[in-house]
Amino acid sequence: MLKMNHLSKVYRTHLIETHALRDFSIHVREGEFVAVTGPSGSGKTTFLNIAGLLEEFTGGEYFLDGVDVRGMDDAARSRLRNEKIGFIFQGFNLIPDLNLFDNVDVPLRYRGFNASERRRRIEEALARVGLSARMKHYPSELSGGQQQRVAIARALAGSPKILLADEPTGNLDTQMARGVMQLLEELHADGATIIMVTHDPELAARAQRNVHVIDGQVVDIQAEPRMRGLGVVVPQAAQA
Amino acid sequence: MELRPILSALMRSRVALVLLGLQIALTLAIVCNSLFIISERAALMERPSGMNERDTFVLASIGFGADFNLKNAIADDLAMLRALPGVVEAAPINSLPMTNGGWSSGLSLTREQKTSSAYSAMYFSDDHGLDAMGARLIAGRPYRPDELGERSRKTKGWPPVIIITRALGNKLWPGQDPIGKSVWLDTDADASTVIGIIDRLQAPWVHNDEVVEFATLLPEVINEGAFIRYIIRTAPGQRDALMKTAEAKLAEINPNRIVREGKTVEKIRADAYSDDRAMMIILGVVIASLLIITALGIVGMASFWVTQRTKQIGTRRALGATRGAILRYFLAENFVITSIGLVLGAGLAYGFNVWLIQHYQTQAMPWYYVPVGCLSLWLLGQLAVLGPARRASRVPPAMATRSI
Repeated sequence: MLKMNHLSKVYRTHLIETHALRDFSIHVREGEFVAVTGPSGSGKTTFLNIAGLLEEFTGGEYFLDGVDVRGMDDAARSRLRNEKIGFIFQGFNLIPDLNLFDNVDVPLRYRGFNASERRRRIEEALARVGLSARMKHYPSELSGGQQQRVAIARALAGSPKILLADEPTGNLDTQMARGVMQLLEELHADGATIIMVTHDPELAARAQRNVHVIDGQVVDIQAEPRMRGLGVVVPQAAQA
Repeated sequence: MELRPILSALMRSRVALVLLGLQIALTLAIVCNSLFIISERAALMERPSGMNERDTFVLASIGFGADFNLKNAIADDLAMLRALPGVVEAAPINSLPMTNGGWSSGLSLTREQKTSSAYSAMYFSDDHGLDAMGARLIAGRPYRPDELGERSRKTKGWPPVIIITRALGNKLWPGQDPIGKSVWLDTDADASTVIGIIDRLQAPWVHNDEVVEFATLLPEVINEGAFIRYIIRTAPGQRDALMKTAEAKLAEINPNRIVREGKTVEKIRADAYSDDRAMMIILGVVIASLLIITALGIVGMASFWVTQRTKQIGTRRALGATRGAILRYFLAENFVITSIGLVLGAGLAYGFNVWLIQHYQTQAMPWYYVPVGCLSLWLLGQLAVLGPARRASRVPPAMATRSI
């Protein structure tokens, strides 16, 4: 589903070069729930941005659902992002001036679905997260946990191949975080492929597999036994 | 187009929407009416006087001294002027179109009339006057030398023959040929018979729409006092040189007078419409200022919104919006705001025009001013928002994951 080989990302200014990712390799299969952990500044967010086609990488290879994304222009990346990826952000990133229906509608409009198809998907997605009755409400009228559920509904509505979650419970209290995490687990159980960036070891432990990143490199991959049996490719950095 | 969600989102920023909408509405109302006033003034200024303006000039003199004889001076002056090489024709004249000063009189179709059928400017000249002005006779005949007379305070009655403008003829005898018809300039005197029709010759009062096209040319030379004015037409290209020569010659052949500086008819026209021109310039400045202020308002508001929504734009990009989609979003948003302002502005524009008609006797604004104004403001809005919209389209999708 997601395969990065020897990927690197260098941020350059006229004074310094910063290697955010170095020789970064990872392979996430369809249906996996992977937690990416690491300290602040380790490269987790850079990995997420590149995985989500939000940023370009400097070197290496990246295949998303079999598509080589290297050298793609901005419009093609936008279309691929819209079609294949569902984002769940730490700050929810809902649009405050739009009600829940219109918020979930945003990526579907970019996808070019017709109005009836969009309505069906929005209603299904909001039902999935238990917010059908609040379609006409605005984000400010919801709790943090509910807002994150809307964000999850927005991510699900386009039937993406993979969900990328950036600290999905980072802005929530324990109880709300538990609810969101439970929802992610349910989605995974239903077959969704999820990559979750988190610094919380407890949350990471609930994922199927952990990838630990330090200084832009994968330093440890903990594969679930049944995944090992399926022949998960272990990156060279981890092997080293 | 995401018009519904855009409108829905805008409804949650009502103050900005109302302020910008009002600005656009007022701009449309003022710009449409100002442009209409300018076009009215321009049309007023473009009306032909009926004269050959390019090749004509006037000279005036005031005699002094006990031995100054106006009649002799006129005869000498005209002989000199008509003999000047390059002068096509010269004639005495009491007044001219566009000078804002002259003689007018009522005309009656019957002796018994209590009120006149029309009022007309009265131009007194000799049998060369028509030609000197370059006015075009379209029917009848010009004056013969034997029909010439003089006019002073002692003169009783009016000449038996007159030449009038076509517009005056149509006013007095709609649908009829005025040639041979009788008209009374004074119901206590004898009637005058129309012997010629001039295509056009404006009255001196260009801002009096009721009489501006009504003029009567009388075969009489003013012989009263010491003032005399001449209209002189030259061959093409010789006007300015001849004006100086004629001025010097007039002073030379009779030193007992003051010769006033010559004036071209083109200068007379420029002076006649100087207030109109000033108004057009002022209104033009008002229009330009309003458009600039409105455009800057749109740029300012759009720039503010782009800055305010940087994270939101990044999120939209992350969710699949291309740069083009972001650009179109801001263009569409401006289109919606402008459209709301224009709907309000269209009503204001027509209302303002009605108010101007009621209070300043202007004409009704043609219907197409508002649609053309709307199209122009839509275009202005789109151009104004283009810069901020392009800036928005350059917000990277990674902005969605940044903590700002």
